[in-house]
Amino acid sequence: MQMKFVVSSTELLSHLQAISRVISNKNTLPILDNFLFELKNDELVATASDLESTLITTIPLDSSVGEGVIAFPAKILTDTLKEFPEQPLTFDIDLTSLAVKITSENGVFSIVGQNGEDFPKLPQREESGIVDITVDSDVLLTGVNKTLFATADDELRPVMNGIFIELGNNDLTFVASDAHKLVRYKRLDGRSEVESSFILPKKPASLLRNILPKEENPVKVEFDDKNAFFTLSNYKLICRLVEGNYPSYNSVIPKNNPNVLTIDRVELYNTLKRVSVFSNPASNLIKFELKTNELVVSAQDIDFSISARERLQCEYEGQELEIGFKSVFLLEILSNISSANVMVELSDPTRAGIFLPYDNENADEDVLMLLMPMMINA
Amino acid sequence: MDAFFASVEQNDNPELRNKPVAVGGGGDRGVVAAASYEARKFGVRSAMPSKIAKKRCPSLIFVRGRHERYKEVSNQIMSVFFEFTDLVEPLSIDEAFLDVTHNKKNLPSATLIAREIKARIKEVTGLTASAGISVNKFLAKIASDYRKPDGLFVITPEEVNDFIENLNIDKFFGVGKVTADKMHRLGIFKGRDLKTRSLPELIRLFGKAGAYYFQIVRGIDNRPVNPNRIRKSVGTEHTFLKDLAEKSEIIKDMEHTAKDLLKRIERSGFRGRTLTLKVKYSNFEQVTRSKTIVQEIDHYDLIMNMALDLLNQIDLKISIRLIGLSVSNHIDDSEPLQLTFDF
Repeated sequence: MQMKFVVSSTELLSHLQAISRVISNKNTLPILDNFLFELKNDELVATASDLESTLITTIPLDSSVGEGVIAFPAKILTDTLKEFPEQPLTFDIDLTSLAVKITSENGVFSIVGQNGEDFPKLPQREESGIVDITVDSDVLLTGVNKTLFATADDELRPVMNGIFIELGNNDLTFVASDAHKLVRYKRLDGRSEVESSFILPKKPASLLRNILPKEENPVKVEFDDKNAFFTLSNYKLICRLVEGNYPSYNSVIPKNNPNVLTIDRVELYNTLKRVSVFSNPASNLIKFELKTNELVVSAQDIDFSISARERLQCEYEGQELEIGFKSVFLLEILSNISSANVMVELSDPTRAGIFLPYDNENADEDVLMLLMPMMINA
Repeated sequence: MDAFFASVEQNDNPELRNKPVAVGGGGDRGVVAAASYEARKFGVRSAMPSKIAKKRCPSLIFVRGRHERYKEVSNQIMSVFFEFTDLVEPLSIDEAFLDVTHNKKNLPSATLIAREIKARIKEVTGLTASAGISVNKFLAKIASDYRKPDGLFVITPEEVNDFIENLNIDKFFGVGKVTADKMHRLGIFKGRDLKTRSLPELIRLFGKAGAYYFQIVRGIDNRPVNPNRIRKSVGTEHTFLKDLAEKSEIIKDMEHTAKDLLKRIERSGFRGRTLTLKVKYSNFEQVTRSKTIVQEIDHYDLIMNMALDLLNQIDLKISIRLIGLSVSNHIDDSEPLQLTFDF
């Protein structure tokens, strides 16, 4: 049994590189170090999986003969393809001996594949209880981008290690939190007929972040209790969802925040970058001292007798306040807000600060970030 | 203390006195934890596989270790130290540094204090100890090992230079077997050889430790005797009854190790953020893997979750004989506290 196809080297590489990000270097099954190639109806479908997530792509071919499946060592193939300038490559595959011959303009490369039937079967959609929506690719991408950084790495509460995606009749909400910081990104232009939700693990979220920028069409999202299926024009992502209930995040958003700071976001960011160099490396504690229209940012490391202090122009209304934050978290939050000015609502030094974009350009967007303080004199 | 565990056993059981005794498991997989001086004459050493020890000394008597008892004797010894000074820094279960610049009994010299301490230890525990006296911790430690057993050795300030120059490099406190081998390859055999090397050269060869070697070979060690030395880690390890190759069996044993670790964490009150898994293969090679988290490692499920994760990173192609778990990366209580949401 033979199959044969001719494909552009750069086209093949770009598709394979995208799906190769699924392959784990800590694979439990050796077959998962391979791409699965399936040739059928003049189409080449390539699959990569780590059992939890699976990425599938359809690669356009110049020509093809025969049908069949074979598993192909991923690393050797991508490493070789990287070194080719654009040219057609001919793959001759003997499906009985699994011998593969790749013919390029100047040479021949021989590899032995593995039996494609050994590749784990993909999860199928359940018959009932499946939710099916269509989301603008840009909405999905921004939702993932804004929240992924805030997910946890929590051994005991796996639900925190993913992005909580909540479908409402009037909005679509992405939430992530590691119990210190929380992001709620709401889109009023995304909606669903059925109210539902799922928790998307970190890894497929970052895979989406990688394949979505090139997508121009709306993305079909289907999910049941166990798996989610994202269908893009050229890619399909299937992933196991995090099981369990996401904590009720709305209850931790402080309601009464009489102290409001409005400040140039980039200026604050740059100040924090400088001042945090002087903070204790273990705690990264920086201190905000707030009084009317003035913010003093300071840090010190007693072990090395170093300290830093900067005074910033701002708008501040409220009582005089001293509050501590971990600088790395603050910097992450500020870099994930895109407006020129940022508004910070505070109640007291033991309660979360609310970070909001001040002049949001997109009326369909509702961004809220929360950060718990550090106790200054613990 | 001299041959501490073995001496305690000989002292508690008169039948063992004047006989070659090894504390540890006598079986095929046992390891000698301590050997009496009678056993050492035959070449029996601590950390030696029991099989080899028996070959060297066929009349060797193996005694199971009784750690509770050693801890009890250790406490007696430590309280003797506190009769003389409060500046006591325990170095291990049977050693400590004492700063006797000021002593509670107003004895005029360190040598007199050492004699009295040795006598008190003999009186309270029936055991002999060796003392080393000098101008700093590095030299005192070396002096204490110099005339074992029942020794008392002084390195006076005038003698420091000659003493260090003539000292074999492997006797330096802080130079282990690996470093000693490396130094030998570099032509460094005695203190005087080490002294010829410049500071930049030593730092290049040995990193941070190089700076320490540069100082101590000149007799300089300004580290104070620190009575509140912070514990750096808590750990435990288990040698299996037979080498294990099956992951499921290893995990089963790991559950015991994790429970034991938790017990030790609770007993010591140690708060740490890093878990380290150590695996020793049947060929005695070993690997370690570590993981650090934000919060304190303080309960069983967390330890097991992390340990399983670490185990998955370890190649189990060869069967393994031992696993160990330890917690390190001490959380400082004075560190500012990051608050968390009340989910």
